[in-house]
Amino acid sequence: MNRRVVLWISIAVLCIYIGIALAAPLIAPSGPTAITGKPLEPPGAGHLFGTNDVGQDIFAQLVFGARITLLFGFFSASLSVLISTSVGIAIGYYGGIVDEVVSRAIDVFMPIPVFPLLIVLTTFFSPGIIQISILMGVLGSIHGIRIIRSQVLSVAQTYFVEGARAIGASDVHIMSRHILPNVMPLVMAKFVSSSQHLLVMGVGLSFIGIWDTTTVDWGTMIQNAYSSGGMALGLWWWILPPGIAVVGISLALAMIGYSFEEQFNPRVGVNRL
Amino acid sequence: MIHNGDFQRPAGPLLSVTGLRVRFPTRPEECVRAVDRVDLAIACGEHVALIGESGCGKTVLGLAVMGLLPVNAKTRGEIRFRDCDLRAMDEPALQRIRGKEIAMVMQNSANSLNPVMKVGRQIAEPLRVHNILPATEAQDEAVRLLAAMGFADPAQAAERYPHEFSGGMRERILVAIALSARPDLVIADEPTSGLDAVVKAQILRLIKDQMAERTLLLITHDLGTAGYLCNRLVVMYAGEIVEEGPTDELLAMPRHPYTQGLLASLPSSGFHPIPGMSPSAADLPAGCRFFPRCCCVKEQCRQNHPPLIPIGHNRKVRCHRYD
Amino acid sequence: MIELTRVSKYYSTGFLRRTRTSAVEDLSLTIPRGTCLGLVGESGSGKSTAGRLMLRLTDPSAGSIVFDGIDLTRISKAALRKVRPRMQIVFQDPDTALDPRMTLGASVAEPLLVWNRAGRRDAGDRVLDLFEMVGLQPELVDRFPFELSGGQRQRAALARAIALEPDFLVLDEPTSALDLSVQAQILSLVQVLRARLGLTLLFISHDLQVVALMSDTVGVMQGGYLVECGKTREILDQPSHPYTARLVAAARESEAWFGKAPGS
Repeated sequence: MNRRVVLWISIAVLCIYIGIALAAPLIAPSGPTAITGKPLEPPGAGHLFGTNDVGQDIFAQLVFGARITLLFGFFSASLSVLISTSVGIAIGYYGGIVDEVVSRAIDVFMPIPVFPLLIVLTTFFSPGIIQISILMGVLGSIHGIRIIRSQVLSVAQTYFVEGARAIGASDVHIMSRHILPNVMPLVMAKFVSSSQHLLVMGVGLSFIGIWDTTTVDWGTMIQNAYSSGGMALGLWWWILPPGIAVVGISLALAMIGYSFEEQFNPRVGVNRL
Repeated sequence: MIHNGDFQRPAGPLLSVTGLRVRFPTRPEECVRAVDRVDLAIACGEHVALIGESGCGKTVLGLAVMGLLPVNAKTRGEIRFRDCDLRAMDEPALQRIRGKEIAMVMQNSANSLNPVMKVGRQIAEPLRVHNILPATEAQDEAVRLLAAMGFADPAQAAERYPHEFSGGMRERILVAIALSARPDLVIADEPTSGLDAVVKAQILRLIKDQMAERTLLLITHDLGTAGYLCNRLVVMYAGEIVEEGPTDELLAMPRHPYTQGLLASLPSSGFHPIPGMSPSAADLPAGCRFFPRCCCVKEQCRQNHPPLIPIGHNRKVRCHRYD
Repeated sequence: MIELTRVSKYYSTGFLRRTRTSAVEDLSLTIPRGTCLGLVGESGSGKSTAGRLMLRLTDPSAGSIVFDGIDLTRISKAALRKVRPRMQIVFQDPDTALDPRMTLGASVAEPLLVWNRAGRRDAGDRVLDLFEMVGLQPELVDRFPFELSGGQRQRAALARAIALEPDFLVLDEPTSALDLSVQAQILSLVQVLRARLGLTLLFISHDLQVVALMSDTVGVMQGGYLVECGKTREILDQPSHPYTARLVAAARESEAWFGKAPGS
């Protein structure tokens, strides 16, 4: 009972975040970069979370920043899951030398921590936010390939897949009609947990200033607050909102991910009572 | 019926089940009646078989005796073991009985053994859990049991893991675990499911030898196994007992149409199937539960639920033809 | 109809794939059209592998498999696919023989749709015909496998197997996971279908009694080898190989249990 309550709260929180991001122009019509007040004002009339050092409304920044942070977080996660699912199904189903090669390659790349690798790569290539998201998606898919592959292996051993081959169905038919639907729960769980990881990673990267620092997203907000002395001056309304926003969505996604995983546990056979 | 033995046996049944009902509520109005008013008495030294197809309630009955039903099961009725009310006992008291006085050989050896624990330790576990023997002696006893089960090199076998053994050997290990604390009552649930004909015969011989001085409650759908191991058969259908009696009599002259159908569907009788399917336990018919599949129905079978009628001095049938 | 000549199947395992285990060794068998061959043996004897080899669901390491004049070991993958509708298989475990995410109707219709034997609309009718042939109620078309009993799932698996009107059907221990009473139902159904559709059958089982009742000829496998093969009656009355004799003895013993007084 308790778990279900947590799940529903998490889903509600996620919907609120997405809703706010979508409705940003309505909620904060002035836009994130407009200077609407005196600098460093605490929360009060007209500025729900006060203003930053330039006089921009923090609430507006938060709300517009949500768009970027969420968009690229989910985009990378989608890309990651797309890659890991297609590669995982292909190598799990076909097996053979391709499977061996790809699996060994994954073994080599898996221990490499993605975050530092991204920092190194972006230092050399200074890509934009889209390129970084794509890179995050690709690097994040490595772990997923292995997970999906092992599930595909067990599905591919079942009699109904063998039966489909016996009927003479083509490989593509089998992979799309039989293997994919049976792997779907795992894919969805992976999507949720990837979203969480990559979103937070995105915030971290933007905090470091990996991409265009003039883009307003939660990472840059925290970065600005930090580097302009927000912490030192005790201006909690500047630092806390984006931080809490990140923690909030991270928790919500994590809770949703956990309940997917629980649901997904294969029920072992039919209970013969 | 008591087997000849040298030692004293207490009078009165070893296990006595009275009016047992087990239900699983599934949805607000629906409930699955797995076991419906079953009375069963097993005397010391008897070998009784509960026969029926999947879903007839026989496994639920076995689990109820052991107190191992899932949390959502609603039980009513009495289960007495040596005159102690098992249902009134709390979990610690039941744990003292399980393994030591009543042991169960579960179905499906593949899932019933701990894959990361050595076999010898698993056999010694009941002895350790009930503090019957200290560790080293328990291990020796495990080796002795493995030898009794027919393992060629028992000391070495005790050091291996379950996955290193074949299905038949794992079944023997399960039997060894059940017997290690020398229980008085052994409940065996489909001990030979999934085994080949040759291995099955070996396991059944083993069980028969080991049960010579113990009481056995066998749960199975296989009439052949039941006929070989047991001296009394209890046939269950849709949660209730439909026929009961000594093995040879019952097999030679089955009274209930379901029992007759079961015998006719054996390979040796020519595989004549019973038409239709058993009713779902959530949706039981009003009259006789076997009515839709029965070959010789009477007018009242549709409406009236037949009681269990005694015939002779130790047989019972639930059928209107014997009213 | 189907003929195996000196077929072997090896699996390479171990480090650098150097250890070789043989599942089937030097197997030669013939199943004439319209007959039923029963293949008996314990688990690990290679009988299931033999069945799959006949359908070329696994590739043989050596030997040839000829199906109705077509050498399955030499044809292309595309040509093999075209032959597949003529030979089908029913598996042992009803729990996983059907895709748990597809309704029964969809599972049974799948072969028809894959091969375009029926459009989407006609497929529904064909499925109902097939359900009737195997004794499933029409309402079950929209149910999922987990909602049904083992016997019903096996019937659905049978319906799927005969949907393409095959000439040859392999039954791999179809009743081992079922209760005795349901077993009788499924086996009599198989006999009915065999007569009605003129099937050639390969019946694989570890239970000699069952095989004896269903088959015209019996083959006994042990450790990957075919140790004996002959007409059912001959094998039962005069088994020549010691392993066959043990199987026959075990079968007779279980028959005798009915007349025997227990405890004696």
